[in-house]
Amino acid sequence: MRKTSTGIIAGAVGVVFLSVLVAAQSAPQKNAPRSPWKYYPEDARANEGPGGPAPVRDMSGTWAGESSGAGVKRLVPPDRMPAFTPLGKQLFDRNKAEGTGVLIAQSNDPHVRYCDPFGFPRNMNDQIRSMTIATVSNRTFVMLRFMNIWREIWMDGRTLPTNFAGRGADVHDPTYNGYSVGRWTDDYTFVAETTGMAAETWATEGGLPHSVDARVTERFNRSSKNDLSLTMTMDDPKLYSKPLSLGQVNFRWIPSQTFFDFSCVPSSVQQYLKEVADPASSPGAAR
Amino acid sequence: MKPKVLMMAVLIAAFAAIDRPSFAHHGGTAFDITTPVVLKNAVITEFLWINPHPLIKADYKDDKGNVQQWTMELGGLVGAQLIGWTRTSLQPGDVVTLYVWKAKTGALVGRFNKVDFPDGTTMRDSQTGADDGGRSDSGQRN
Repeated sequence: MRKTSTGIIAGAVGVVFLSVLVAAQSAPQKNAPRSPWKYYPEDARANEGPGGPAPVRDMSGTWAGESSGAGVKRLVPPDRMPAFTPLGKQLFDRNKAEGTGVLIAQSNDPHVRYCDPFGFPRNMNDQIRSMTIATVSNRTFVMLRFMNIWREIWMDGRTLPTNFAGRGADVHDPTYNGYSVGRWTDDYTFVAETTGMAAETWATEGGLPHSVDARVTERFNRSSKNDLSLTMTMDDPKLYSKPLSLGQVNFRWIPSQTFFDFSCVPSSVQQYLKEVADPASSPGAAR
Repeated sequence: MKPKVLMMAVLIAAFAAIDRPSFAHHGGTAFDITTPVVLKNAVITEFLWINPHPLIKADYKDDKGNVQQWTMELGGLVGAQLIGWTRTSLQPGDVVTLYVWKAKTGALVGRFNKVDFPDGTTMRDSQTGADDGGRSDSGQRN
């Protein structure tokens, strides 16, 4: 028993030591110059705790995501192998996502290779850096730092379009971000539904496909002043035999509300692939 | 549970709780993260401050006097910015010692580990800058 107690104490000391080490690494340098135009992730890290109750029916503001350096965690990743239909499996097998067993030279991820737009819903579950939400009288705008994306979620009571094919004048063209409507289901939960997304985009970094008729439900929940979570599901009967989870991402309020752009630049990614990534992952690649 | 086992479990849990960005993105598995190649007196020829990864280009003269032209990537540009890198941190003509995780293909390309400057200072990569290839939050010269 005594040895066990010693072990527990030693372990606890280890945790404290590591916490101090991490805090020291993350802490801003004293007297370091600061600009109101820069984003300092330590500000978001220092903004500990809930910060007070969530305001009623309000998500407006700028939020740090898991890839912002603010230490925000993802709790639920998207499904990796959902229940495919035969067509869904066929389309999934075409997509060569970078990762286990697939190096960048072998990937056909249109974003990794060419900076093609993620499109929705991938832009809400991959490269989650930071996000600004703004609401006007009849719409909510979601603006994403990565790739400088804005999405428009209508709140005027309209219904989603359903016709994305055919020759008639009433056909709606698919778009990268699709068509979205949203509503508050309670004082702290905003639910958006989206369809009509361009089918050539991937739903996740792992290469899950979606059809133009896929319907994605986003559930934003603001549990406190500082905490916002987003849970996503997708229903796409052409490609999946049952609805699948696109995971949950979390956001933290950024005290300075600083938000700036970040884009994948096609010419730069071509240079990167040619000069480093492809030679590093394919022996035959020219350099 | 034996105390040493318990202590190890707690320490492992503590390490797991530390936010460590994935190195799997953009070809991470293509590099040999065991022992860095050390390029002493390398001459910087270009420092490209680009997305998705800044690139360092340098000439290195090997033991036989042959000049090798290396290209290496840093972690993500924003991650580099957050730990103090700027587009002028390296400049053409700088003579430095570069540590690089070389591509397994044998090409003269790699993932940047750290750079030692003649004044004794060091800058590290945001994701692979630690001496064991792990994350470093210290891109500032130190």
